[in-house]
Amino acid sequence: MDMLKGGRYSLRPELPPHLALGVSKDKVMLKTCVIMSIPLILGVLAIGWEALWQFLISAGTVLILHTIIQFWESQTGRRVSYPTTLSPLVLAMIVGLSMPASSPYTVTVGVAGLAMVVFKYLQGRLFTRKFVNPAAAAKAVLLTVLTLMIFLEDPLRLGMLYHPHHLRLDLLSSTGFTEAIAFYETNTLTAVQSLFFWKTHGWIGGASGLGTLVAGIIACFWIRLKWRIPLAFLGAMAVLSAGMGFFTGGDPISRIALHVFTGSTIFLAFFMASEPQSTPMPEKSQYLFGIALGALTFVLQLAGVLGGSIIALVILNLFTPWFDKIGHKRAIGMKGGN
Amino acid sequence: MRRYYEEKQGFKIDAEMKLDLEKDPFEEIPPPPVATVFLDQHVGSPGKPLVKEGDRVLTGQKITEGEEALTLPVHSPITGRVTGFVELRHPISGSMKQAVIIEAEGEEGWLLMEKYPDFKSLTVQEIIGRVREAGIVGLGGAAFPAHIKLSRGADVDHLIINAKESDPNLACDVRLVLERPEELINGIEIMAHALEVEQVIFATRTEEGELHQFEKFLKERGIKIAHIRPSYSVGSERLLVRELLGREVPADQFPPDVGVVVHNVATCLATTEAVVEGKPLISRGITFYSRKTGGKNLWVRMGTPVEHILNYMGISSESIDRVVLGSIMMGKGAPDLRTPLVKCFAGVVALTSDEHTPYENPYPCIRCGYCDAICPVDIYPSLLLEALEKGKTETLDILNIDSCIDCNLCSYVCPSSIRVNPKQRAR
Repeated sequence: MDMLKGGRYSLRPELPPHLALGVSKDKVMLKTCVIMSIPLILGVLAIGWEALWQFLISAGTVLILHTIIQFWESQTGRRVSYPTTLSPLVLAMIVGLSMPASSPYTVTVGVAGLAMVVFKYLQGRLFTRKFVNPAAAAKAVLLTVLTLMIFLEDPLRLGMLYHPHHLRLDLLSSTGFTEAIAFYETNTLTAVQSLFFWKTHGWIGGASGLGTLVAGIIACFWIRLKWRIPLAFLGAMAVLSAGMGFFTGGDPISRIALHVFTGSTIFLAFFMASEPQSTPMPEKSQYLFGIALGALTFVLQLAGVLGGSIIALVILNLFTPWFDKIGHKRAIGMKGGN
Repeated sequence: MRRYYEEKQGFKIDAEMKLDLEKDPFEEIPPPPVATVFLDQHVGSPGKPLVKEGDRVLTGQKITEGEEALTLPVHSPITGRVTGFVELRHPISGSMKQAVIIEAEGEEGWLLMEKYPDFKSLTVQEIIGRVREAGIVGLGGAAFPAHIKLSRGADVDHLIINAKESDPNLACDVRLVLERPEELINGIEIMAHALEVEQVIFATRTEEGELHQFEKFLKERGIKIAHIRPSYSVGSERLLVRELLGREVPADQFPPDVGVVVHNVATCLATTEAVVEGKPLISRGITFYSRKTGGKNLWVRMGTPVEHILNYMGISSESIDRVVLGSIMMGKGAPDLRTPLVKCFAGVVALTSDEHTPYENPYPCIRCGYCDAICPVDIYPSLLLEALEKGKTETLDILNIDSCIDCNLCSYVCPSSIRVNPKQRAR
């Protein structure tokens, strides 16, 4: 009976499981960075060093703020929200790649800072999860605010979302569309070729539509991102633009090229719209989310807001809790799904 | 044998722990000098003690008994003297439960039950009575009294023998098939006789020809053998029934409700031993694993303390931080080195303090959806976790928490190192 007394026998009685796949959040983030290097490199090659500067400014801003926040958290005894730089680095890449190369550096710094402090750190702290995509929300909010600052010399141009040149476009007519797409022509490439392969302006992350598409497909397999959202989003955009092509008498391929392969659509599809925290979990809901995002983006594009996909995304993000309640699979052993 | 099992969406489960262990013969561990026998070793109420302090008991002697349908007797695993009763933390429930302490004394002597080599002459009720008297539980891990499952004959048309052994650390079932094929065949026939079923299916993760002798026996008796793709989740009896027969077991019911009884292959052997040889359930085959020694199939008496197993394996108990009892995916950690083996544990894994638990520093859920993608019963662990964390218990039913089979695959894939385990959290 004596052997039943004494502390040397105690073990740590942990709950199961005791085995893990070993795919940590950091590994997922690192893979994301590697994948996003593809559009970054292609962006720099197509657009030039300006693209790299945009990325470096975004990365610098985010990483400085991350260091300050981390220091403050550790000094005040709070749990460190992001123990490594990988998650902030992913945010920095998304912000950098979602900016046009022509963006004023101060605007890039503003978007990156707002995204890091308010929409990544504070949103995560206050709500335990993110309801809106940090990069999209920061960009939508800051650019809208800049647009509304009518005392500035050229608020529309500075805000970039409601760019005066874009607002003058008439994408509802065949001739208006032809004028719009001509903007993408280069000395060596037609507008369609340029949109598919090699753009010299617009979102850095979408400089090569095809390259970003390939990077996105790699992400679907490698980090298992929510592939149904980009599929449904791009699918909806393709169907709507082809339909518009037929309806207005234009070339459907050109329509698809402009609406689907513009940087704000193709980059957002894979690297912002599928962001896990702010998007629905049920598979059917992911399709619905993608379709709704496509429809709203398309409407905004027709209205001349060519980068309207981020506004559409932020709006749809807010409906994610509702999307989470619908489209459930039927569980095994249960009668019906939701 | 494979190094990985593949789950839904191509997620892989590391099966290195059991790699080639099918070739490792059972080694019988000498009985412990002191056995700690929990009175409660099965689903249902424990029996009342039949012994008192100072009593001398023989190996196989009944030490508890009860009248209730779900109550099973427990037998002494060694010959010796009862030195007392203690309250110890139970390795399954985690609560304090009564155990009998028996100290080995003198030559080993057995108290066997009546033997029935010609089991076919027994009536169904006699077989069920023998199985109950031997204290047999489902040895696959559920610990449900086996005689109850043998009593559900009326609407049952299929008996499935589960040798799928899908847990990443267990290989003792396949080893059993290789070492004791004739006794297993007898066990299957006894069960089929009791259930009066026409169709018996033997489900295994092995490939055709790997269990050569046993497969021959099965063929001779017209028993179907199903070689199932190696995967962890399909080992669950609900999913096994679905995989083999296409029948879905409602979440609030059990396989017999859809006409199927599933018994683990080790339960078949225990049944043969009970009916044919008159031996109650006092020992079983387990797979032991530690990084220091690698894997080993062992034959161990119930009531053997974990420390005795470690000593036998040449492992200093001081170097051990955690001991997992049963499946590495579903088994709880033993609270204590004195924790004894109970009937339903098919494995023991000893982990040192260098082997950190992967779930030590969880981070907030990032809603990556990996858990939803891998879930074998198609529920949404991510949404269940969210509801549980917010205290929205009313939504748990809407999210079908009852379908959860506690497989823990949701935790296994979590990049945020969260023990998601929705059902466990809800308890």
